Amino acid sequence: MVLVVLWKEILDNLRDRQTVFYALLFGPILLPLVIGGALVAGLKQARVSFEEPAALSVSYAERAPNLLAFLQANNMDIEAAPPDIERAVRRGDVPVVLEIPDNFEQALRSGQPAPLILHVNDGDKHSSMEGRKVKTLLSAYSRTLNVLRMQHRGIDPSIFNSINVTLQDVSSNGFRGQLLASLLPFLLIVAMVMGGFYLAIDTTAGERERQSLEPLLSLPVARQKLVFGKYLAVLVFVTLSSVLTALSVYLVFRFFAPEMPGGVLSFDAHTIIKAWFLSSPLVFFISAVLMTVAASTRSSKEAQTYLGLLMVFPMAPFFILQFVNVQSVNTTMALPMLSQYQLLERVVLQDTISSTHIALSVCGTLISAGLMLYAAVKLYSRERVL
Amino acid sequence: MIEASNLSKTFLGVSGQEKRQVVAVESVSFSAQDGSITGLLGPNGAGKSTTLRMLATLIKPDNGTAIIDGHSITDDVLAVRQQLGFMPHNAGIYPRLTTRENIRYYARLCGMDKTSTEARIDELIEMLAMQHFANRRTAGFSQGQKTKVALARALVHRPQTLLLDEPTNGLDVMATRGLREIIRQLAQEGHCVVFSSHIMQEVAALCDEIAIISDGNIAMTGSMDSLLATTQQSNLEDAFVHAIGGEL
Repeated sequence: MVLVVLWKEILDNLRDRQTVFYALLFGPILLPLVIGGALVAGLKQARVSFEEPAALSVSYAERAPNLLAFLQANNMDIEAAPPDIERAVRRGDVPVVLEIPDNFEQALRSGQPAPLILHVNDGDKHSSMEGRKVKTLLSAYSRTLNVLRMQHRGIDPSIFNSINVTLQDVSSNGFRGQLLASLLPFLLIVAMVMGGFYLAIDTTAGERERQSLEPLLSLPVARQKLVFGKYLAVLVFVTLSSVLTALSVYLVFRFFAPEMPGGVLSFDAHTIIKAWFLSSPLVFFISAVLMTVAASTRSSKEAQTYLGLLMVFPMAPFFILQFVNVQSVNTTMALPMLSQYQLLERVVLQDTISSTHIALSVCGTLISAGLMLYAAVKLYSRERVL
Repeated sequence: MIEASNLSKTFLGVSGQEKRQVVAVESVSFSAQDGSITGLLGPNGAGKSTTLRMLATLIKPDNGTAIIDGHSITDDVLAVRQQLGFMPHNAGIYPRLTTRENIRYYARLCGMDKTSTEARIDELIEMLAMQHFANRRTAGFSQGQKTKVALARALVHRPQTLLLDEPTNGLDVMATRGLREIIRQLAQEGHCVVFSSHIMQEVAALCDEIAIISDGNIAMTGSMDSLLATTQQSNLEDAFVHAIGGEL
């Protein structure tokens, strides 16, 4: 009986373009590509690489041959600057221009601070990043000159370094790492919700709206069997959606970002499979929530409104965990969604996970799913379900 | 066979800000025999659909009960449903499934095996002349086609008793005549058919027994001839108005 309902709902909904689009395309493919792709591309852009050779436009390069030799030694290819420097930088023709004033050489010789002008466009990401890079190189050059000047006057350069701070970051990630790490649970959970969204509405509120619920409930079948059949159909779509998402996240990172910043984050097959298994109890919970909420509404439109509001919940931990430091205590580990966010982040960051936390997450989520499903059966036993 | 006695049902209705009890069915008693067509005739809002829903075990009566083919609608719900084919006043079929798939779904839910399901579907397609739309998805079907699919679905498990809630709604003349033929045939085969309608000609043309329902109560029951005799009227419409206490 349950399988008859399951098979009918799957067949029926596979013929619905909206359901198929959201379950199999939107969550699993579009979202990872758009969000994941953008984030990875952004990360790549934000990284300043000193190894990759880059072009630098210099105006009056002939005035500082030593400086240019230093820059060239640090992978900068020197080019002649365009005539109208300001306009060229503003228009983005060249990212930055280093201008060497005519008194540079003289000031250097006489032991004065030698002037240099760096033209950047801070409103432009690329220009501001190149500017940072050149500034870093210039201060390194400046330090070298300082040391030489002091040694020349017989002073030990180290007396100017009263304090030497060594920063030791013990976290395995930075802010960006955290953001990337929480991307996996975010995408998985949103895909699960989107995967079952329309199916849950169609099989409950939609069925009532089409007035096919009345004859269905007059058949010699126990109502809980009908509810289970519908629940299983939602579960199949939610599971399918999450598996496809895991696969596409793996592919996105495989092709767009084979090497991760710092090398602490991992999106390899092993990590993704582990993450999927840790998040899998959620397919039961999310399916049950979708069913119950949709079944409690009078029409598809009402169901869409409520479930739309409900969409905030899977997204909430993503934002909360970015800004608030939630300690992974036992209480938060028993909460569905929040616990999966924390567990999956750690999997991606390759941190150790205690088995107590896994057990709490699995049990908490499955118990919540059971309660929700019980509520759905209760809803279907009411006369008002018609 | 249906034996309904003192069925009553009250709903909580909302009028404006207030919530108050609305009596949908006050006291309905009537009987419907196998092999005959019983018409439940009444104006809109008289309680016809609520009565049929109680008989179909979709809602529980507050008081009273009914026995359908030996099973109580309050105590023996699944056994009643096994004997019952219910067609609500909107066909309520699945638009993305074909005619066959719609019927097959109900057959399988009623516990029929694959072979007997397919044989029964062929039989029903033949009986209701649905050959040319048997394998089409039902979205965009005419009202007559939808009603046929819904009727086939209600008949698939060979129920002894049939409850049809305003089945001729939205049907054109030819489709209505066709449906009447089918209903007569079902009664001849020995089924107990209960049929609700607010259309006099419909009931006059089809029913062996008529139960006039008004304001949640049965105002009068009997055959067409006995209703005319009791009310001393010459046609059903006048008899109906007389029975529900209206002015002629």
